[in-house]
Amino acid sequence: MAVRQGVDGVGGEADPVALAGGPPVSLRVDRISKSFYGVAAVDDVSVELHGGEIHGLLGENGAGKSTLCSMLVGLYRPDSGRIVLDGDEVHLRSPDDAAALGIGMVYQHFRLVESFTVAENIMLGRGTAGGRRARRAVEEQVDALASEYGLAVHPGAPVWQLSVGERQRVEILKQLSRGARVLILDEPTAVLAPHEADRLFDAVRLMVDKGHAVVLVSHKMQEILGHTDRVTVLRAGRHAGTGATASLTPAALNTMMFGNDLAGTDTTEGHTAQVPGEPVLTVSGLTVTGDHGRPAVDDVSLTVRRREIVGIAGVAGNGQRELHETIAGLRSPATGTVTTAALAYVPEDRLGTGLAPGLPIEHNLALRSFRREPHARRGVLRHRAMRETATALVDAFDVRGARDGMPVSFMSGGNLQKAILARELSEAHDVLVAAAPTRGLDIAAAEAVRRHLRSERDEGRGVLLFSEDLGEVLELSDRILVMFQGRLVGEFDRGSVDLDQVGLLMTGAAE
Amino acid sequence: MTSRLVVTPRAKPSMTVRAGVPFVALLVALGLGAVILGLTGAAPLTVYRTMFDASLNGARAIERTLTYATPLILTGLAAAVAFRMKAYNIGAEGQLFLGAIAASGLALQLPAGTPAVLMVGAMLLGGALAGALWAGFAAVPRAFLGTDEIITTLMLNFVALALMNYLIFGSFSFWRDPTRPVPQGNTIPDSAAMPVISGRLHVGFAIAVALAVLLWWVLRNTTFGFRVRTIGDSPRAARYAGIGVPFATLAVLAISGALAGVAGAIEVSGVTNRLDPKSLAIELGYTGIVIAAVARLNPLGVVPVAIFLAAIATAGGSMQSIGVRVEVVVMMQGLIFLSVTAGEFFVTNRIGLRPAGPPEPAVTAAAADALEGAS
Ligand SMILES: Nc1ncnc2c1ncn2[C@@H]1O[C@H](COP(=O)(O)OP(=O)(O)OP(=O)(O)O)[C@@H](O)[C@H]1O
Ligand SMILES: [Mg+2]
Repeated sequence: MAVRQGVDGVGGEADPVALAGGPPVSLRVDRISKSFYGVAAVDDVSVELHGGEIHGLLGENGAGKSTLCSMLVGLYRPDSGRIVLDGDEVHLRSPDDAAALGIGMVYQHFRLVESFTVAENIMLGRGTAGGRRARRAVEEQVDALASEYGLAVHPGAPVWQLSVGERQRVEILKQLSRGARVLILDEPTAVLAPHEADRLFDAVRLMVDKGHAVVLVSHKMQEILGHTDRVTVLRAGRHAGTGATASLTPAALNTMMFGNDLAGTDTTEGHTAQVPGEPVLTVSGLTVTGDHGRPAVDDVSLTVRRREIVGIAGVAGNGQRELHETIAGLRSPATGTVTTAALAYVPEDRLGTGLAPGLPIEHNLALRSFRREPHARRGVLRHRAMRETATALVDAFDVRGARDGMPVSFMSGGNLQKAILARELSEAHDVLVAAAPTRGLDIAAAEAVRRHLRSERDEGRGVLLFSEDLGEVLELSDRILVMFQGRLVGEFDRGSVDLDQVGLLMTGAAE
Repeated sequence: MTSRLVVTPRAKPSMTVRAGVPFVALLVALGLGAVILGLTGAAPLTVYRTMFDASLNGARAIERTLTYATPLILTGLAAAVAFRMKAYNIGAEGQLFLGAIAASGLALQLPAGTPAVLMVGAMLLGGALAGALWAGFAAVPRAFLGTDEIITTLMLNFVALALMNYLIFGSFSFWRDPTRPVPQGNTIPDSAAMPVISGRLHVGFAIAVALAVLLWWVLRNTTFGFRVRTIGDSPRAARYAGIGVPFATLAVLAISGALAGVAGAIEVSGVTNRLDPKSLAIELGYTGIVIAAVARLNPLGVVPVAIFLAAIATAGGSMQSIGVRVEVVVMMQGLIFLSVTAGEFFVTNRIGLRPAGPPEPAVTAAAADALEGAS
């Protein structure tokens, strides 16, 4: 076993200042493969990343994007193939190896310690002693980097007080302060308000101008087309193509992603007018205490009626989560009441709340119906029926990557989301509460979900939709409520939406 | 060209691997053990022969091993069912004592002429109830207040041991034989003795195996088992699915305690024939935790692991009898147990050498299509 670690002169912590002036980085992936349980997640993929470019990574759910990125940061080891950094083959055995070589990743689910401050989180995992001097040095470095890239954060603030956008900045600064020259962002804008996303891309552009390479994983076509220099598309684990963004059209990308089968995209059917019926969900005077003792939901009242979609717009972390968890009965309110008809619920937290991660798909799809016929009779489970239900739902909702007996935690993010939707929508219900139901879904799958939401409404049920994607809320909702710091600060009817006003309300700038 | 080790999980280990790996691991342990024994001056082959004779060779040896395994199966099950739900009952030790106290109490209290079936049945039931109740002292606060059951069940072990010792050594209780000056438990009537299968091996062993199968079936095939597995994997997901977590916690801890209590009752009825703290307090409860862990909390796995451990234990006793020092005995026991459990890693993972140099198309297009086909 010959494992070479560290490029000469860049052992351990790289000095970001020195690197900033160095030659542009180049990272080449050469015929890399990784399979799980004998199934290829990444299959013979070769890509080259250059310093100075933003490289988009596109592909449908389960295409292997996260697996590929995980190999670049040493989280998974390739079964075969090479990773070549600046002309030298490297063997990455852990994310620390990768960090030492200047490769860093910002995961979709942040990995920050809530009770630590920004500076402490950035120091964490660097192996430096946490003395006061060291902390001062880190704080100064963070401040310098933050102003250099326009990623303002307060180094002394505890992370739990930060908004999602701020947390993401901390993650990026953490990687930059460790000397990252290749930065991988896995679906970074899924949780950001539009203006926050713009700021992120400004910062990314600055990094790239300094010779860094940035990989942007995204399902949003506009983002890929608007902000990347080149794009690589994966399809079923294989390399479907790489090209200069300027030469690519959405149609070309779709073909690369989905093959010739473009069914499911671009079928946005019109929003038919409906007359709402009786209320199916009523929340009145609801106040909920959050995890840190602060009121997370503050005197919220709302009603959802049959045949309407009520959308809640807002930047993540403004109490949406506490609100829908309370509606679903997972939290208890401090004051106020929730009255609801039969409820289906798509939680924000897929693994752990929506699904039991260590159990297989047939178990998870029966999570709500296991007590009843046909899944059980007199307390005895009927495995055959459960498997049949699972097969039917997996087919109907196009859930991919599920394998017999395999824990669902091994499935890709988007497919987990589809599995939850499949289960929830197949249960009898009058109202659907969906939190970020299209987050992480590829374009086709997201459109399928939107279709499902519309037909929920058209079939006479009510829908309460939480989404950080303002465009999605506007597209789907009959009524839009804006949530900011735990309160509902605005209400608009479809058709009379003032976009600027909504944006301002979302960020509290309208006061 | 360089090559490197690649570890990949096996989707489903084949039968050959399942059966073969523990066997190879045992041979490795015996090989290493021979070196140790040689260094300490013993003749490895003679020692191994004695070990084998004592634990596995012949009806007597097997009876002894299986009898010893009986309470271990039950405490192993007690731990397995609770741990399955992440309720860490480490109180099987104390629950077993309570089961023994209740069973011996009933045996002494009921008329000696009671038919054996009724008598033994009452003892098993009483033992189960007592064990469940004792677990309940930790289960209720855990279920409703979230009190850490690791601490409470551990504390209750000490209380149970003190109680049992008090009944025999510290007082002239109903359990103590009044005719003897040396403190000793009162002997239970013949009708309270567990019927025998063969030689020393009593029906308790069959009961333990039957309970293992029953528990496996319940966990796998009932809605109750579904609840337990869901809670064990993710309490949040369980709550979200409308599963009553406190009630299930109570039920599972009660079942766990009952299994340990039955172990106590069976020991009294089948082996000690009296409340005998010295032969009951030999850490059967704690050993059950190890067994459950090695069996990966699978009730069916508990049975062979418990028998294996019992064989090592009886073999160890025989080594001492031919003059091998006790330290060496413990070392040998540890070595065998560790190798075989470490072998599990090779059962669940495939280790292979792969060249790190040129790529090999390890997976074909067919496999990639299978990925899609899996939906
Ligand atoms: N640890 C693992 N064990 C088994 N299978 C896995 C594992 N990680 C990923 N897979 C499988 O590999 C395939 C690719 O998954 P990956 O997470 O890379 O997809 P993705 O492109 O990131 O999808 P998404 O857009 O849904 O996040 C999927 O079929 C997934 O089920
Ligand atoms: Mg992914």
